[in-house]
Amino acid sequence: MHPGYTCGAGPDVDQILSLRWATRIDDGSTQLLDLGWRPEVRWRFDDGGRLTARLRLRMQSEAGTRPGDLERGSYAPATRPRTIGDRAELELRELYYERPMDEWYLTIGKQQVVWGKSDGLKVLDIVNPQSFREFILEDFEQSRIPLWTFNAERSFHEAGGDWTLQLLWVPDRSYHALPTQDATYAFTSPRLVPQASPAIDIRVAPPERPDRWIKDSDAGLRLSGFVAGWDLSINYLYQYDNRPALHQKFQPGPVPSVEVAPRYHRTHVVGGSFSRALGDWVVRGELGYFTNHYFLTDDPEDKDRVANSPELSYVVGLDWSGIQDTFVSVQLFQSWLSSYQQGFTRPELDTSATFLVRRRFWNDTLEARSLWIASINDGDGLLRPRLSYELEDNLELWAGLDLFYGSRTGLFGEFDNNDRLLVGVEYGL
Amino acid sequence: MLKPVLLLLTGTLFLSLTATGNELPDGDEIARRINARDEGVAVARHLTMRMTDRRGKTRTRETRAFRKYYGKEKRTVIFYLEPANVRNTAFLTWDYPDADRDDDQWLYLPAMRKVRRISASDRGDYFLGTDLTYEDIKLETRVSMEDYRRRTIGEDTVDGHRCYLLESVPVDKATARELGYGRVEQCVDSDIWMVRRARFWDTRGKLLKTSHFRDIRQVQGIWTQHRIEVENHKTGHRTLFLFRDVDYEHGVRDELFTQNALRRGL
Repeated sequence: MHPGYTCGAGPDVDQILSLRWATRIDDGSTQLLDLGWRPEVRWRFDDGGRLTARLRLRMQSEAGTRPGDLERGSYAPATRPRTIGDRAELELRELYYERPMDEWYLTIGKQQVVWGKSDGLKVLDIVNPQSFREFILEDFEQSRIPLWTFNAERSFHEAGGDWTLQLLWVPDRSYHALPTQDATYAFTSPRLVPQASPAIDIRVAPPERPDRWIKDSDAGLRLSGFVAGWDLSINYLYQYDNRPALHQKFQPGPVPSVEVAPRYHRTHVVGGSFSRALGDWVVRGELGYFTNHYFLTDDPEDKDRVANSPELSYVVGLDWSGIQDTFVSVQLFQSWLSSYQQGFTRPELDTSATFLVRRRFWNDTLEARSLWIASINDGDGLLRPRLSYELEDNLELWAGLDLFYGSRTGLFGEFDNNDRLLVGVEYGL
Repeated sequence: MLKPVLLLLTGTLFLSLTATGNELPDGDEIARRINARDEGVAVARHLTMRMTDRRGKTRTRETRAFRKYYGKEKRTVIFYLEPANVRNTAFLTWDYPDADRDDDQWLYLPAMRKVRRISASDRGDYFLGTDLTYEDIKLETRVSMEDYRRRTIGEDTVDGHRCYLLESVPVDKATARELGYGRVEQCVDSDIWMVRRARFWDTRGKLLKTSHFRDIRQVQGIWTQHRIEVENHKTGHRTLFLFRDVDYEHGVRDELFTQNALRRGL
């Protein structure tokens, strides 16, 4: 407990009720109706420790976005949300105990660990996997999958800067939760999904999840610091790539078929991040080198149609706040495969860009923002204008559009049929 | 011939000195007195911010705020406790004495789970929906020596206290644009060297807002404001800042003024 801070005798309790409704722009049908309840309870102990529990109950009425429309085999049993009927799920989002201990600060339990400096797209924010139930449209806070993690941090002053060393051990073997084939946001882009002629039956096996408790855990460290005006970090993670490699096996016969076996592979990730304010500008960036990523290939010589390559990804962002209450941000993402092979279904150098404009009005009660994410290679993208209004202390109303465009083979263009208008309300208790 | 001239000069000088003795103190001297006032090395307090729009609709934020001096460097951190939708939002600033060095500022937004670096030139932006700017929040009871030219323009009475009227004008247009003020007039209580009222004009010369600093009393021997009322005359929006549980004596841990503390919250 911090000096001078007094707390009540009982636990602190917060609750958020939320409702989101989305209608398809092309035919006016309801795409999503999502009712959520997110209670949070915090207990404080005399020894300075705190226990935090966060739950999420959500009910989703529309086919394509229900709990069953997400591949649940990628979750470890202790992490997997519990389904209630076919339209509701209850999830222990987080449950962790934290306390300072000598020079260390320990956070133990199910939690989110967020690395990196980028917005909207991820390079280093990879410690926790993500649910792609709504592609990347859901807030990362909600789509990130918290993991059972041992997190120890130690701060020290050295070389003219303030530094924090973070050590992570993640025995939780949960990975990205991907939509099922019939889900609204099922991936269809050849970059991510094997393509076959209609005459060939494609069968997707349950993912082969690593199952050794210790040996298959992830581990990482981050050294972050503030030196001469720069926020810096060096990151390392030894993990199973959260995205499974889709190994394929062709089965000839009267009805030929392809059996797809999702399998997870180890990779080392080495990277870093920086940010610094320079007048009206903030420059920030992050970089990650992945030693072993797997990609789909259509090379007929490749038996399982999957091949690996090291991948170097980085993002550089510039934020500008030269006009009062206005924030403008641009980011450039690039990913380069150093052992690119002919036949890969993604380009050797993949480039994307984001552009965000946000302005607040009426003492921050009204916010207008628009985010544009564009794939330079494929010419497709996503535009997300949104207006939100704080009607009362604890009551926010918002409306927005998610507009996809471009080729159906692109990461964004594949959802061109999913353009939607959303309205939502969030109420805090 | 030389003697009368010397006498005349001496007389003029004497009159000048006499007049100075009766004149109001120099503006910079008042500013120095304000900034020399004892604020304690560190302070912890609870801060309630009550924001009311022109229709009378009120929003309330409960926060815990800490400030500590490291020599002339000042570090301030504010943690939001209530309501639920802004809970765990936190703002940290490191304010350096070197005028050529920009402050370092960070904002933690729990929805992003990231500490964001903020440009120090955001200082004219209003602080999280209130009627004080980031710069106002940072300065607290002090005044900026570098951003303004100042002079004493008279005397006035605020809440029964005699004050010097201190006029401050930004040193140049760029600074005025950055701060959002074209002119500031502060009523400074010469008994305790604290501002009791401040009026702000925008860069076009229109009255922008008025702040009243009230319920000023000693806490652990240090004069402390417990109530700031700010009214924005352009928007009709008002913010009431209420301080309580002010504590200068029990120290504030250095770890509070770090990005780790922003992430972990109180």
